[in-house]
Formats: sequence, C-alpha cells, structure tokens
Amino acid sequence: MILQELRVTPDDLERQTGWELKPEGLCKDDRCVPLSDGTDGLVDVTVVAERLGMPLVHDEAHGLWALGPEAGGRVLASAQLPPIVLADVDGRAFDLASLRGEKVLIAAWASW
Amino acid sequence: MALPVWQQLRTELHPQGLEIVTVALDLEVDAARSWIERSGADHPQLVDTAHKLDEVLGVVNVPSAIWVDEDGVIVRPPHTAAVERYDFSKLKAPEGLPDDLDAHIRDMLEQVKRIPRFDADHYVEALRDWVEHGAASEYALSPDEVVRSSAPRRPSAAEAAAEFELGQYLHHAGHVDDARAHFRAAHRLQPDNWTYKRNAWELVSPGIQGPTEFYDGDWLSDIKAAGPEHYYASPGF
Repeated sequence: MILQELRVTPDDLERQTGWELKPEGLCKDDRCVPLSDGTDGLVDVTVVAERLGMPLVHDEAHGLWALGPEAGGRVLASAQLPPIVLADVDGRAFDLASLRGEKVLIAAWASW
Repeated sequence: MALPVWQQLRTELHPQGLEIVTVALDLEVDAARSWIERSGADHPQLVDTAHKLDEVLGVVNVPSAIWVDEDGVIVRPPHTAAVERYDFSKLKAPEGLPDDLDAHIRDMLEQVKRIPRFDADHYVEALRDWVEHGAASEYALSPDEVVRSSAPRRPSAAEAAAEFELGQYLHHAGHVDDARAHFRAAHRLQPDNWTYKRNAWELVSPGIQGPTEFYDGDWLSDIKAAGPEHYYASPGF
C-alpha cells in the first residue's frame, strides 16, 4: 500500500490491505489485533505496521511510504484466492473473482 | 513463450469448465503488448505492472501457475508450469558477436542448459486430471496443504514486496532513476525472487540482463551464485 501520509482512513486501509477496523480492533478473516482509531477518525499506520508485523519502507525524496504484507507464516494465510484486480493491455480492469463457477488456471509469464 | 500453448489448452479444456488467465509480470505494458496481441487468445490476458502476484500469491519466477477451483479456493499454489517442449541442449550463441559479448552469451547458455526441465506432457496430464475430477484429483491439494506448501513469508521477503511496490510506483510516475534504489533493495532482501530482478535488469540491459552500474547483480552472476539447479522449483508432481 502506497502512502503519502502516515495517517489513513479505516476505509482506505481496508480496501488496500483487507484489514477492517472493528470495535474489537483490526480484523481480517478470524484474526483481530487490538487497535483503535484516533480522535480524528484516522488510523496511525506506524502502529498498524508494528502490531501486524508489516514492513513500512520510506522514500524520503518523494515523501512516500509503502506498507508491505504481514511477515511470518506463509504467503497464503488461507487457501481462498485473495482479491486480485489487474488490467489488460488496454487498461480495462479485470477482477479474477468474476470467474467464480469455473476452474481457473492463472499463468504468470513475462516478456523478459 | 508459452502463450500459444496456453491458448491450445484453453481451447481443449474450456468446454469442460476451465478458464485460463495469463498474467504478464511486466513493469512496461508495451513490452508485453505484441506477445499478447499476436497470441490471438480468447481468454483474459492481463498485465501485472506491479508484480502484485509475487506479494499476494508468492510468485518468484516465470512460468508459474496457480490453480483455483469453482469456489475461488486455491488447489495448487504457485508452481513451475512447464507446458512447452524445448531442446536446450542444442542452444548456440549467434555468430559474429564481439568477443566479450560472445563469451558472456556462451557462459549464459551453459547455465541455461543446467536449469532443470520438467516434463511438459506430465504437467498437461495432471491439469486434465484436475479439470475432469476436481477435488478428487490427486493433483488438487486440500486447503491446509495449499497454505502449508505456499512460500514462507520471511520478514525480508515482506520488506522486499514493500520496496518493490515503492519502486514500481516511482517508475510509473516517471521517476525511473529514483525507482532503482528500491528495486535494488528488493533484490537484496529477496535474492531468490527472479521476477523482481529480471524485470529491473531487462530495463537497463535488454536481452542480456548483464552487469550495469545500476544494480548489484545480473543474470549470469546471480544464477551462478544461486546454482542453476535452483532456478526453478519442482512443480511437485
């Protein structure tokens, strides 16, 4: 998740990472960690990074951060295909979830 | 390039309920465009200009495939997907190259010949078996097996994903030079991720992915260091 500020709305955080702010904390699937938003309704990303073991890397010159995935365990926390929306060569977005009901083989390749 | 083979398999297996989605891990859409437009495929052909599949699924090299059932449940996590038949033993360097380039390419070809190859026919048979039998196929893993056999998420690999995300963001915002420090960091943090490395090297050394002032590694040096026998993980069947 690319950030220009270290305080984000809970909606942004959920859309980009899948972690949802609930009364009991930040939750995804059946996991929750204690966390609450500030009085301004925003979430402090440095606290999120620390609680969830997510790397937060910085580019000082451009004033940007990237919040990476949770470290530890396996890349796939569950066998459910995570949300993946990618574009075709003409920029049209395609949601892999639209293929429910069919078996799908995702074939990663590259021109290089 | 395997795109025509995926199209043939799609033609054969789509009537039985298989869709194929090809995803080019290419920072530059235009690098993938001509391959995609020439393929004539009638299945979705997407471009992952951020190498998001590495972060969310654990892809580290191509060709890789992931199998997903009708309910959106992964039944085989990323694995080497060999569907093309090559004879690498006869590979030769082109004639008439300058001496230093000639030696470099000969050395590359020697490494290529030592990369493990997997049985394409067996892969296709396994795929047909899963399409026909679904969860009853011996090639479909249970959800627990899928999680267990997906890649470990070491802190360094998680950080590599964040560095690559910053790098690709800057690259696409036109800050091509500034992106390289983040690509370099991703390479250092996750040295066995070949998509992060090769795509970045290709942009500064097209075709050869040789040594440059921009990156610490290059294809030939890195494959020698890793051992060509480790370049592709076995698909597991």
